[in-house]
Amino acid sequence: MQRPTNSDQLHGTLDMLVLKVLESGPLHGYAIAVRLERMSKDVLNVEEGSLYPALYRMERRGWVASAWAVTETGRRARVYKLTKAGRAQLEAETTSWLRLTTAVAHVLHG
Amino acid sequence: MIVMRIAIARVRALFRRDATTDEIREELQFHVQMRTDEYTRHGMDARAARQAALRRFGNLAVIQDRGYDVRGGGVMETMLQDLKYGFRQVGQHRSFSIVAVLTLALGVGVSTALFSVIDAALLRPLPYPHPEELVTLNVDETTQGSQPSRYAPSIADIRTWRNLTTIISHAGNGRVSGFVPLIVETGAPQRLTVAEASEDFLDAYGVNPILGRGIQLDDTREGASAVALLGHAFWQREFGGDPHVLGRDIRIQNRVVTIVGVLPAGFFNDTAVWQARQVSSAWLDNRGSGTPAIARLRPGVTLAQAAAALDSVTPPSTMMGPTPVPARVVIQSMYDDETEQFGPTIRTLSMAVGLILIIACVNVAGLMLARGATRDVELAIRASIGAGRGRLVRQLLTESLVLAIAGALIGVLLAYASLDSLVALIPLSLPANSPVAINGTVLAFALGLTVATALLFGLVPALKLSRAPKMISTMLSVGGRSGAPLSKRAGQWLIGVEIALALVLMTGSGLILRSFAKLVSVDLGFDTANVVTLEVEPLDQTAAMRREYYVSLANELRRLPEVVSAGAIDQLALTGGGSYAFPTADTGANVEGPQRTVLPGYLEAMGVRALAGRLLENADLVSGEAVVVNVTVSERYFGSAPIGHTLRVGDKNPREWRIVGVVPNIRHSGPEGRVEPQMYVLPDPHVSGPFSMTLAMVMRLRGRESVPLDRLKQIAEAVGPRVLVGRARPAAAVLGEHVAKPRHRMLLLTLLGVFGLLLTLVGIFSMTAYAVARRTREIGVRLAFGARPAQVVGVMVRDAVWPVIFGLLAGVAGTYYATRIITSFLFQTAPHDPATLVAVVALLGAAACLAAWFPATRAASVDPVTALRAE
Repeated sequence: MQRPTNSDQLHGTLDMLVLKVLESGPLHGYAIAVRLERMSKDVLNVEEGSLYPALYRMERRGWVASAWAVTETGRRARVYKLTKAGRAQLEAETTSWLRLTTAVAHVLHG
Repeated sequence: MIVMRIAIARVRALFRRDATTDEIREELQFHVQMRTDEYTRHGMDARAARQAALRRFGNLAVIQDRGYDVRGGGVMETMLQDLKYGFRQVGQHRSFSIVAVLTLALGVGVSTALFSVIDAALLRPLPYPHPEELVTLNVDETTQGSQPSRYAPSIADIRTWRNLTTIISHAGNGRVSGFVPLIVETGAPQRLTVAEASEDFLDAYGVNPILGRGIQLDDTREGASAVALLGHAFWQREFGGDPHVLGRDIRIQNRVVTIVGVLPAGFFNDTAVWQARQVSSAWLDNRGSGTPAIARLRPGVTLAQAAAALDSVTPPSTMMGPTPVPARVVIQSMYDDETEQFGPTIRTLSMAVGLILIIACVNVAGLMLARGATRDVELAIRASIGAGRGRLVRQLLTESLVLAIAGALIGVLLAYASLDSLVALIPLSLPANSPVAINGTVLAFALGLTVATALLFGLVPALKLSRAPKMISTMLSVGGRSGAPLSKRAGQWLIGVEIALALVLMTGSGLILRSFAKLVSVDLGFDTANVVTLEVEPLDQTAAMRREYYVSLANELRRLPEVVSAGAIDQLALTGGGSYAFPTADTGANVEGPQRTVLPGYLEAMGVRALAGRLLENADLVSGEAVVVNVTVSERYFGSAPIGHTLRVGDKNPREWRIVGVVPNIRHSGPEGRVEPQMYVLPDPHVSGPFSMTLAMVMRLRGRESVPLDRLKQIAEAVGPRVLVGRARPAAAVLGEHVAKPRHRMLLLTLLGVFGLLLTLVGIFSMTAYAVARRTREIGVRLAFGARPAQVVGVMVRDAVWPVIFGLLAGVAGTYYATRIITSFLFQTAPHDPATLVAVVALLGAAACLAAWFPATRAASVDPVTALRAE
């Protein structure tokens, strides 16, 4: 179940990064935010909370799945993991991203 | 898998209303808590850490809400949310909502009112058990080489058929009202509708007396004691619902009749008394009594089976001579018989009302689009935070539904309030026993209609507007306030459609209006102004005494200072009926035409002058021989020189009439009636016995004078001892009643046409106004660059004018087909009457341009500085 990403760039980038973060294994929202922060200073610059609507949207699209789990500190947290569709989406996004950046680089370097 | 999971999540949310909200809240709190912990680990104190974490997170409530928007609760929850939002929208845009709701109320109101009529007329016209088994019966007799003549079956026919017990369960005949209402005396004499029925007639309907018994075979025999049943309303009114009424006597004309039963309420409420119809043995075989026969078929028997079975036992007629004339039974379902007359009127009204409803929907769709265009930023934001297109469509449709429900509530109230006036106006003789009412069926219809209208006017804007988010970047780049041409095209389409529909509707109204104008402008040949008619009937008198009475009364009335001339006639003009005469002229010509019995002074009172010879005079009454004829008789039979010729009429007691005068053709049967050879004769002075001639007095008053009914009554009672004074009506009112149906049709359709026009104008006005409002900046720029206000108005109006022109063209094409259905209502007017079409096109076109022009002028008066600062 793969959908064309027709949302604007902000969405696309955030989605792709979240999927990328989840590629290494299931994480809860806070952990995702921390990883994203490390990967890029800019994406979640505005509001950390924006991550959650994005997660829910991706869940509805079937790219991620979630379940409640108990963390090592004994707190209940909602944990997200990448689905098969999510993996495919990530691949597609990565490819198109690379294609775009290659093209841009081409142009820039003349 | 995914679908399953979503479905499960939704079902769960449906049952645990706040489960989703709780989950989101817990998850977000977890995040904030983790961040707070991190900050405290870095040495911040607990309160500062939490504040920082919250700041970093953003607006918790908003994110929670957005998250909820994306995850969505259950179906119910979304719907409630949409409803809440819908109400908020409706409440916020008050003027928009008022216009939209009133528009819908009008559409739903007229539709519901009409449907309640359709319900009574077509869905339940026969409120009897198993109405599908009820049939009407006639007999066609075909003499060789001529058209079949249709007759009401004889009593013998009915009794023969009734023996076919496998086909027919009940059969009888009866007449709901006689030729004239009869005088019934309980205490005081009254003129009331009296019906007569054979045995088994009420049984066929499945109607049982609530008191006493029905009419039995023995009651219908010649010489049996006269019995009758009372109608429920009359029983209540006259006897106070007395249960001991059985066995009491009433007088119907000169007969004493014993009450044997009382009928249930709702069965021909206007009929006071049902008499047993007595038929002498000599007349048992007589077909063509005019009394309709009805029967109830056995369950499952088809019309064809019944016709075949009845035919096999129906004897040929031997009434018309030595050669038997073959007879064929004509059987028709009572439903068809009752409802076929409604077809054209109901089709016409349904179409007119349907057009109004569609115009209303188009209007509201336009309004929503126009308003939606100013909402695109809001919609884009909703979409960007994750609301899918389906969600947006549903949201917008819910708003439509809120509007539609509000409109429908007011509409049904309007329908309820106007129902009586509508029923009074409806140009139909509605079924006697099924009153029009807003009942469950009608309410169900209104509900269905509400949902349908919400979809109809909501779907286009919803689909159109939900595409808005795609344009988010464009919009944000121009500040989201320019006249994004999002709905310009759609709005123009809607204006065009509206104009086309309104044109069809208004052309129909225009044709009916023109036709009515022609109908009432027909020269009837008499003048109803200042003419008063009075129905008077002397009781218990011989024919000679009655004649004396009427003559004396006419003389008395003539003495009144207010009265110019007074006379009487047997059948008031325009009330239908009357008898025909077939005299032989002294020239040998066989004259055939309607005959009116009058008293001298009648023609003068009606403003009729003699073209040749003279009118009738009191002196003529002695012999009763003088006759006045109209021009048609004069030209057709006497070469325009009829004076002095004689007409001989009757075989047993022949009379001879001598023509003394010629008058113009008078349309006694109304503007649409034929002009026939007409004879005005005097009462026969030689008739004796109980023959009951009834005349109506006709008098012409001086100027604007009037005579109170009481005074007329006093005079009428002073002339003879026992008289029944009926209605006193201006002749204009009689004429008014005669053309009541065409007038009502005209009024209704004109009203609907006006509604259609108003709705269309409101639509164009508001769509242009919104377009102008959205383009304020553009207007400001144009003005700032030196455009003259007139040019700006021109630009704005032009956007509306093209669709109006296209709409008019499409509408003209539409009228070509649509006006056919009203052809049968048109009097001397072609369904494609060019004058009407041109007038309607001009009116609608001009009004539409005005409706666009007003908001456009407002735009031109904008101060360019203000307009630009609005950005």
